[in-house]
Amino acid sequence: MAAETKPAPAAGDERLAYRGPIQRLLTRPEIGALVGTGAIWIFFWSVSDVFGTTAGTNNYLDVATSLGIMAIAVALLMIGGEFDLSSGAMTGATGMLVVLLVKDTGELGGLGLPLTLAIPITFLFAMGVGWVNGTLVEKTGLPSFIVTLGTFFVLRGAKLGFSKLFVDKVIVEGLDNAPDYDFWANIFGGVWIRNDHLWDSFLGGRDIVFGVLATLGVVALVFGLMELSLIRRERSAKDQSDVAVIGIASMVLALAAAVIGLVVAFVLVGMGDSGDVAANWLLVVAVAVALALGFLVGIGLTKKSRSGGSFGKLSQNGIGITATVVGLAAAITGLTSLTVTDGVDQNWIWGIVLSAGMLVAVFGYATWRFESASVSMGRFSISREIGRRTIIGLALIVLGVILGFALDSSSTTVIGILLTVQGLRAILFGGLVLVGVMMLLNAARDADSPVTRFSITAVSGVAVAVVGFVVQFEAASRKYRAEFFAWMMAAAVVLLIVAMVRLLFDQRRHSHTQADRFGTMVSITGILLVVVAIATKLLWATSEELEASRALITYRVSILYFFAFAAFATWLLMRTKFGSWTFAVGGNKEASRQVGVPAARTKTQLFMVVSGAAWLVGTLIAFRLNSVQANVGDGQEFFYIIAAVVGGNLLTGGYGSAAGAAIGALIMAMSFQGIPFASWNSDWRFLFVGVILLLAVIVNNYVRGKAEKSK
Amino acid sequence: MSEPALLEIEGISKFYGNIIALRDITTSVRAGEVTCVLGDNGAGKSTFIKILAGAHKQSEGRLFVEGEEVDFDSPRDALAMGIATVYQDLAVVPLMSVWRNFFLGAEPTKLGFLKVIDKEKASGIAKAELAKMGIDIRDTEQPVGTLSGGERQSVAIARAAYFGAKVLILDEPTSALGVKQSGVVLRYIVEARNRGLGVIFITHNPHHAYPVGDRFMILNRGQSLGDFAKAELTQPELTQLMAGGADLTTLQHELSKAIEGG
Repeated sequence: MAAETKPAPAAGDERLAYRGPIQRLLTRPEIGALVGTGAIWIFFWSVSDVFGTTAGTNNYLDVATSLGIMAIAVALLMIGGEFDLSSGAMTGATGMLVVLLVKDTGELGGLGLPLTLAIPITFLFAMGVGWVNGTLVEKTGLPSFIVTLGTFFVLRGAKLGFSKLFVDKVIVEGLDNAPDYDFWANIFGGVWIRNDHLWDSFLGGRDIVFGVLATLGVVALVFGLMELSLIRRERSAKDQSDVAVIGIASMVLALAAAVIGLVVAFVLVGMGDSGDVAANWLLVVAVAVALALGFLVGIGLTKKSRSGGSFGKLSQNGIGITATVVGLAAAITGLTSLTVTDGVDQNWIWGIVLSAGMLVAVFGYATWRFESASVSMGRFSISREIGRRTIIGLALIVLGVILGFALDSSSTTVIGILLTVQGLRAILFGGLVLVGVMMLLNAARDADSPVTRFSITAVSGVAVAVVGFVVQFEAASRKYRAEFFAWMMAAAVVLLIVAMVRLLFDQRRHSHTQADRFGTMVSITGILLVVVAIATKLLWATSEELEASRALITYRVSILYFFAFAAFATWLLMRTKFGSWTFAVGGNKEASRQVGVPAARTKTQLFMVVSGAAWLVGTLIAFRLNSVQANVGDGQEFFYIIAAVVGGNLLTGGYGSAAGAAIGALIMAMSFQGIPFASWNSDWRFLFVGVILLLAVIVNNYVRGKAEKSK
Repeated sequence: MSEPALLEIEGISKFYGNIIALRDITTSVRAGEVTCVLGDNGAGKSTFIKILAGAHKQSEGRLFVEGEEVDFDSPRDALAMGIATVYQDLAVVPLMSVWRNFFLGAEPTKLGFLKVIDKEKASGIAKAELAKMGIDIRDTEQPVGTLSGGERQSVAIARAAYFGAKVLILDEPTSALGVKQSGVVLRYIVEARNRGLGVIFITHNPHHAYPVGDRFMILNRGQSLGDFAKAELTQPELTQLMAGGADLTTLQHELSKAIEGG
């Protein structure tokens, strides 16, 4: 390893080794859930024809929203060390209250208030219930389980009692008769009708835009990860002029991006003639906020680069820069062509263009930015143990492919009670190939010399590519020929890139604040680009699609609330004083009180966050169904808690994440909706949820333990 | 030394019903001095701390901070007067990072009413303050729970010192630690003293107390066996006094007999 450049302090803590970005990521609470989401999505995508489509996505997102908003709030409270069993009943109670407040049912009840009054009153009611819950728990010192169990029954009884009393039914209806309904319906009941939003030729068509954004996103993510883990090549500080140029360039780029983005947003919203204006405008606002944030980041970058900060002092490497640009262009051409065409004859060409482009771009970037390896590659040697594992891994992949072909892909015969032949085929194929690749990667990790490591990783990459090509030539359905093939190719390329980068460049062994920050930012930009790319596919239809299927896809505005709340809660937890106090009161209440954290107030506020979220969900339900049944939400509180736990939140408090809870809700929604999509009897879904809960908890524990041990 | 002592304790007693927990305790701590309070289990050390920290109120006697008589109603009052207590259980949250623990309850914020924590500032100060105590934490993001006992203690001490404590009350900081870790903590105590703080160091270990202390107050069954300056006392005398003199000599005899016999 290169000589230590860090000025070593007198009493350096030698027990603390450097942890790479991936390792640090593994200690995050939501990592298990994230992996689970991927696995479950792939599983249902492969066994069901509907699940992976836009309609399927809308379907499980819709289920995830009310579950997710509540799971996030419940997760915050759980991190703060408490539970709220009344949270489920509370959603129904607020929904019912708002209907009862506006409903004019004659002499018996219904106040006939306008919604403009009823909605704030309901919100105040929710805050009040939260305050009562929190204050009771704090003042009596009783466990929150007992106190909120009490409020649960109070709410449940009140819901039944009042609805019977006022309307003589267990359902209150007719929200749409309320004064001001049209205005509020836009906010809480807005929809985005995909079929009304066509994107055919603007900017070359939706799929081109998708391809460009997705490629850029993936490449940015790769660049970001490299910034996080490789050693920077820093030019001696003599000439500062190009740094200033970079600063101005990034400023101009950020401005241009903001302006173009805004124009694009307006044009796109203008496409088609969806009746719902508010949902469109909400989208414009969302886009504008995102762009403003991007612009701020641009300014930040400018400042940083002017002082030689985030970018570091750029080395001048013409070949590297050129290769980066050319490679990127090739990769984008490859991927867009892949997603647009489904010609079996051309796909492999585009696949190769894509892979080659990615490789060139990544290596261009790497030679431009990073130090090449200082140690020799070593001799190729393979121990008996490593060789055995390599061969077993390869054998498993081959077996998976053979079995995949041996079983009849068109057969929907049911074997046993659960599986169709198709399902079994998918499981065997996917499982064996995955285990095989993992064995290869494991063998590569434990190999002795860099060259051996590279060879085994490269072999696994080639194996994945071969499997991808086999699937591409054989598969009957488009999704395997085009999308699955593209993903397999991407995986193969990533494996090859990882292998080569690790062979040719040194891994960083010390933290580097600026590089870490820059890398994180680039990675996040990459992820955002991919998300935006997926969003373009989900939100806009093409004429071609509509010719194939006229299924009406209607997104509800609640999805937007879900994402916004997840982002807000994550920010609240990680960045604000309140978030810090939440962790503290859940982790060690006595200690936080001693150092001056207002523990009782913090916990009460957390209860109010939960009841506030219940208000939002209740109002969304009321606007969606136009009526609220007395039992809405009862018993749901356990699903909120399960989603939070699946997302990596500790039942005992003091540890967890809001994003994790959102992902947990997504997992549960996917399972609930995926099971009927896969044509299984939906009675099985509780079993499925139970298994997921157990698996998630075990995986979380295992991964965290492992990641912390290897520090 | 003409200026008044940082903290003066005059004739403090504490009764719990008919139980006399403390009787007529008098001692003081000056800036740049370590006053050790020694005593065996049940000697009244915890009661003594709780009175100084403002958690309990004395039944009799008076407290003076820099010459002014004070009356603590809550731990907040004591803290506001610059008297910080590091409890035995440390008041840290194990699952939270070092810098979050350091600033817990007093986080520096930015962006006004949004109360966003200024993470860089907090993390930087935490690192610098710990470095002043001679402890280098490379990663202030690591959870406090992963630190060793001595390091955890030092985080708590550095935190108290940073937040303007004039008097630092340390409740048995070395009791749960091994030999080496205890040494580390004793070094922090000296460090804090050198920075002009008054330290009240509560312990039952005379070997830890004697090297760092300037004054010694020995408690036995709620009563003071005397308040000595370092010059008036040798370490063996201190040990003797603390264990109740003759009792220990007898015990030593019995022990050595038992060992020889076995």
